[in-house]
Amino acid sequence: MLQSHLPLFLVLVVALGLGVFILVVSSLVGPKRPSAVKADAFECGNPPSGYARERFGVKFYLVAILFLVFDIEAVFIYPWAIVFSDSTRGAGTLSPLLVVVEMVVFVGILMIGLAYAWRKGALEWGPEHGKGLETTTAGH
Amino acid sequence: MSAFQVVDLTRFVPELLLGGCILFLFIGDLLVRDERKKRIFLTALALAGLASAAAAVIPTFWGNVQAALGIESYATQDIVAAFSGQVAFDPVATVFKILFLVITGVAIFTSLLSDELPDRHMGEYYALLLSITFGMFLMASANDMLMIYLGVELVSIVSYAMAGYRPRDKRSSEAALKYVIYGGAASGVMLFGISLLYGLFGSTELTTMHHAIVSWASRGELPVVDGVIATAKLFPLTVLLAIVFVFVGIGYKIAVVPFHMWSPDVYEGAPTPFTGFLSVGPKAAGFALLMRFFVGLFVADGQNGYAATDGFMAMAIDLPLPAMIGIIAAATMTVGNLAAIPQTNVKRLLAYSSIAHAGYLLMGFVVLSVSSLHAVIFYLCIYFLMNMGAFAVCQAVRDRTGGELLHDFRGLGKREPILAVAMVIFLLSLTGLPPLAGFVGKFYIFAAVIERGGYWYWTLALIGVLNSAVSLFYYMRVARAMFLTEPLTDEPLRAKRGYLALSTVLVVPVVVLGLYWAPVSESIRGSLAFFRSQPMSAAAHPSVVDVREP
Repeated sequence: MLQSHLPLFLVLVVALGLGVFILVVSSLVGPKRPSAVKADAFECGNPPSGYARERFGVKFYLVAILFLVFDIEAVFIYPWAIVFSDSTRGAGTLSPLLVVVEMVVFVGILMIGLAYAWRKGALEWGPEHGKGLETTTAGH
Repeated sequence: MSAFQVVDLTRFVPELLLGGCILFLFIGDLLVRDERKKRIFLTALALAGLASAAAAVIPTFWGNVQAALGIESYATQDIVAAFSGQVAFDPVATVFKILFLVITGVAIFTSLLSDELPDRHMGEYYALLLSITFGMFLMASANDMLMIYLGVELVSIVSYAMAGYRPRDKRSSEAALKYVIYGGAASGVMLFGISLLYGLFGSTELTTMHHAIVSWASRGELPVVDGVIATAKLFPLTVLLAIVFVFVGIGYKIAVVPFHMWSPDVYEGAPTPFTGFLSVGPKAAGFALLMRFFVGLFVADGQNGYAATDGFMAMAIDLPLPAMIGIIAAATMTVGNLAAIPQTNVKRLLAYSSIAHAGYLLMGFVVLSVSSLHAVIFYLCIYFLMNMGAFAVCQAVRDRTGGELLHDFRGLGKREPILAVAMVIFLLSLTGLPPLAGFVGKFYIFAAVIERGGYWYWTLALIGVLNSAVSLFYYMRVARAMFLTEPLTDEPLRAKRGYLALSTVLVVPVVVLGLYWAPVSESIRGSLAFFRSQPMSAAAHPSVVDVREP
């Protein structure tokens, strides 16, 4: 059991080692010329505005959940594509039709979820639309 | 181990129907505009889903009962584990599925009546309720640690959402949060236990682990995982540790001491129709799972394909499991009953009473014999009737008075005699007084423990009887409030007709089953067969392990 996991441990060790190596070497070798701009908080290249610890809309939670659902769907479709391509070449035991039907069922269920979220107003996040939502913004 | 087969889906029809119904509930929620009509429409839809699932389960159940009566032989293709051995389809799972469907049906009816659930959220509510039923189905038929974990989590995660269902209610949110934290910790410990089991046996499948335990108990052979033999000294200790960890996860679901702390707060804060469901549905599923786990691992194969009936094979391998479960059972009923005595909130009182009942039911697992497993399932059927009845009365009072304190029950005997009388019958049955059904159920459990014989078993039974006597005290406090104290007002309660009908419908079987219980008892006895596959080396053909007496 240990031997079969050896590559995994190696990857972990290499990843950790590389990270530590880059940090240590850059702090030892790199030039240090601090300035006010460099010391600022990084906000996607824009000049930072406001304070980081402030309240923000709870609606983002809903966006995150929706993103997660469709993200997982995409992840799931990748291995499915491999199985499907095997089945079209007669490599697997499953018929291609069955494989497609299974994915249609899966995507169909997700579509119902999307329709539900849409109709319930989860996709409307303008300030004037927020009223329909059970979870309106906190703060502001 | 075989790959996915389409034929597996044909056995999965009840679950698929439930799943389809969940989707239709979401769509139906979008279609109907008028909120009052929506409530009726969605209730009908949910009940139709349950009925179709029941229609798919009942023929299997009936076939099993007939086979047990010797009218027909088992159709062996009906007792299998499908989906690569993950889900077992056997008579025990079937009888639990029927129980779950009936419980959910009653819960849908109480939810329809309740004032605590707003019309506009009923679509989500029913869909979530049926998701729990789906999870309970998986728990009752899990044949693999992964499926056990999946079932438990499906039920738990949805329950968290349901516990916090009353919008903008602080107690409801508090209940949900406490439930999440407890549940998260318990399932983490359980996962750790599962990982230990996998490390010890190299498999998560119950039957594979069982065969390893058999060769350990009978020939002293330790399992070999990836060419490494387990250390003889540490093996029993690690097995015990893993079992205890898994027990933590299941014990939290059935609310046994010391994993019971969440239940009074959750029961009090959750909407009452869901509390009633939570106190019987997921609890019954937890016991089904416990039965699968312990019978699956530790009940020996007997002769002629029957399992031995002398309980834990673990006794032969020095695991103190009966003692451990016995102590937890005794602690659970004692703590539950003693803590119930000072309660003034009837929902909280019923929460502690349901903890105590988990203790009584756990007594059956100390013995783990045919009669004790039969007693546990039989008692679950009866416990469901009386407990949901008591919660329904509680809900009727709450809908009219706005509270569920003993104070709110004062004078109910004058204000709504039918509800008050029904409540007294439910409470007396929960105590276990003859001639009510609760007495028969408790009698079966105590008898199964005494039947085993021996000093410790008799002590355990005695503790159970003493606890029943204690419980009479606090149940009668409710009765006293209803009949003997001056009512605050003489005005009739005017409870909804539905509550009167429901409590009458639930009282009838509580009384009738106390006098004539043979049909229910016998069909459960006929359903006590567990799926078990042969060792991998012997054959790929599965066999039936029938724990009924040959």
